[in-house]
Amino acid sequence: MTQQVFVTGYAALTAAGDASTTWDAINKQQSHIAPVTYWDGSAWENSLVGEIKDYNPRTLLSNRKLLKVISRYDVLGLNVVKQVVDHSEILTYRDSLSDANAFNEKTGVFVGSPGNNYCQQYPYMPLLAKAQRDTTRFADHLFEEVHPMILLKILPNNVLAYTGVEYGFKGVNQNITHHAVSACQAIMEAYYAIQTGQIDRAVVVAYDSPIEALKLFYYGGVGLLSDSAIRPFSADRNGTILGEGAGAFIIESKRSAEERKAQCYAEILSGATHSEAKGMFALDEDGATLARTMQTAIEKAKINANDVGMVTAHANGTPQSDATEAQAIRTVFGDVKIPVTGFKWCFGHTIAAAGAIEAVMTIQSLNEQVVPGIATTEQCADDCVPLNISQDQQQLEKPVALINSRGIAGGNASLLLKCSL
Amino acid sequence: MTDLRRVAVTGIGMVTPLGHSTEATWDALMQQKSGIAKIASFDASHFPTQIAAEVKNFNPLEHISEKRHMKYSGSFTRFALAAAEQAFQDAGTRPTESTNTRWGLVAGSGMMTAEYDYWLRFQETMAKNGEVDYAHLGDPNNHFFAAADFAGTQPNTGVALLSSAYDIRGYTSSVHTACASGGQALALAMRAIQRGDADSILAGGFDSMINPFGLADFCLLGALSTRNDEPEKASRPFDLERNGFVLGEGAAFIILEAWDKAVARKARIYAEFAGEGNTLSAYRITDSHPSGDGARQAIQMALDTAGETIDSVDYINAHGTSTKMNDFSETNAIKAVFKEKAKDIPCSSTKSQTGHLIAAAGALEAALSVMSIHTGKIPMTANRTTPDPDCDLDYVVEGPRNREVNVAISNSFGFGGSNSCLLFKSPDGGAA
Repeated sequence: MTQQVFVTGYAALTAAGDASTTWDAINKQQSHIAPVTYWDGSAWENSLVGEIKDYNPRTLLSNRKLLKVISRYDVLGLNVVKQVVDHSEILTYRDSLSDANAFNEKTGVFVGSPGNNYCQQYPYMPLLAKAQRDTTRFADHLFEEVHPMILLKILPNNVLAYTGVEYGFKGVNQNITHHAVSACQAIMEAYYAIQTGQIDRAVVVAYDSPIEALKLFYYGGVGLLSDSAIRPFSADRNGTILGEGAGAFIIESKRSAEERKAQCYAEILSGATHSEAKGMFALDEDGATLARTMQTAIEKAKINANDVGMVTAHANGTPQSDATEAQAIRTVFGDVKIPVTGFKWCFGHTIAAAGAIEAVMTIQSLNEQVVPGIATTEQCADDCVPLNISQDQQQLEKPVALINSRGIAGGNASLLLKCSL
Repeated sequence: MTDLRRVAVTGIGMVTPLGHSTEATWDALMQQKSGIAKIASFDASHFPTQIAAEVKNFNPLEHISEKRHMKYSGSFTRFALAAAEQAFQDAGTRPTESTNTRWGLVAGSGMMTAEYDYWLRFQETMAKNGEVDYAHLGDPNNHFFAAADFAGTQPNTGVALLSSAYDIRGYTSSVHTACASGGQALALAMRAIQRGDADSILAGGFDSMINPFGLADFCLLGALSTRNDEPEKASRPFDLERNGFVLGEGAAFIILEAWDKAVARKARIYAEFAGEGNTLSAYRITDSHPSGDGARQAIQMALDTAGETIDSVDYINAHGTSTKMNDFSETNAIKAVFKEKAKDIPCSSTKSQTGHLIAAAGALEAALSVMSIHTGKIPMTANRTTPDPDCDLDYVVEGPRNREVNVAISNSFGFGGSNSCLLFKSPDGGAA
């Protein structure tokens, strides 16, 4: 027998705040996109980003020693892990058990990680300047110029590792570094690990901070960034905007949730992922791979497209991604006027974290039975019609949501969530 | 889980410090050769560690025909493209228009994606005095921009190139858990086939940290062997005279197929990929638990998921990094699982000859474990001349050993505490 899998805790950290304040911002139609402050971007053509407001690692993480051995990225991830562990109250339950070790070994950790980042090599630049291409001089000055723990600070699996170290969770784990589908794939793999009985529950966390100079430079250079706003599916959409943040979940088997009488916020019905196999940036012209991904998720959940009440679209605001996503939604849902929304316009495209943060928003949609509007899009573009999008909130008629994520390198992933309140 | 599908290994490809193919690598391994030497790709003479296991005389043009793939690939991605092509050729199958959505790809990808040459260019144009010049970087006329630089330096660049090169349109992912990456990538692929998300998957790992940054990162931690005078003796797992591990580089990929599909096309099946264990030590970032906790559960889980017992394992390919911490902890994990049987099971570390391929290590060692089943030969642990009394298993020190191998397990443990154990079975022994 396969297990049903439920979300029993969720948390987020975005430019708009936590899960609750971000949800409020979306529904009040407030965007939290602003010029970059991490460096002087005044001369930059594309300098709009979704930064965490008043970023202070010491308020985000209480473990001061830990702050010395991790990167800024990791702070975001570990902050939402703390939030979600609190929100789900699983530690209270663990404390009540006679055998905490058995609980820990059946608790997995699945992470959507940005992998490495350009800025993590910046500490080597003074040494390169000094060495002048001479690797003997590089070696001579190495120990005086570079922090001895640099490798540990930049490990792409730090959030996974410290979630284990801090909370004692010891079960099945993965650290997925597949750009913007990382989060959805992490949720999907955690779901399958529970469904097939490898573990009873998991922490799922995805985090990213693509707001670094070289990333902004390159995303802008290849024409992916907007100089004004993310306007998904709008005729005047002209790119995406990078944001930073993190999202996390506790997910559990039905039995595990029942044993501790946990509040269930949503059921995970299925996940699917496919590749467009077109290289780094090119996309299917007809959205065929994304359509197949959504279709596969629907089939795996043993439901029909008609049972789905809303689509949380990838909706990144780039001309090509939105047009092909609109076409994929048409392919799967036909003439059904399924409400479509997206959340990136509010806090930016958080890349590896996107699927997790947007799943947190989707769960709140399911539980409040509303489909938030896309505040920045006044009218659907010709190449996206007839998508059912609105600036205003719509009523959610059916308690199932489909979430899409797409990434560079051709990744597509879809998840199906069902309201369980 | 009776409804899970069985998984076959039907193709192997590798580019390693011992050779540019499976055959060359295996032959060198059996001939007790070492892939470790003085670093040749740059002048490392002033680093504390001046040796590594480099892939030698590799001409990518012999392996990669498409210009586009050369343009967007760094050295380690080229290793991946070459190893993948070998694996496809070896398996005698590849994605077609009618099967490509059922083909998947999972790679353990290394953590350094922008190479040293890129950073030299960056520093000389954008960080002249060592500090990043943000105003200059934001100037549209700075001439530093090249789309190929961007495409070639992403954590999932390798996955993008491999999926497009072979038109792989199904389940595709990229993972990184340090030294456990390759093992966890293979396990993820195996699970995806078991549950029906793909019929066939190209799975493996690729990495190189043999450049001034990578070498520096590890020298700063004091993790590498400094036995610069005797490179071939520097990697000595389970030996009392060890003083750190040796960096290696390369790639290994295998083709996994749903068992029934492989049988139906009369494929040559090397082994059944029958079990895997995946745990987190939750102990420390660089240290493994002295008792073997974490690793122990991973090994047990591999046995359990394959339906095997401690009596059926014929060979353990150890993680065996040649650090006191790992070797001691791993030995204790093996003793905890196999109990009185532990000393009877041959257990060797091929890192003694290949060096440590980091994110590719788990994939390479899984492939070598499969080769032990296929050839009936067990690789040795080289250089174990002064036994560490705390490490007292049968480490196959006398040389490669002839022995029929029906069940082999392969361990990989990473910085950060991720543990992977993979279990392979002889195709003849697994007629369930």
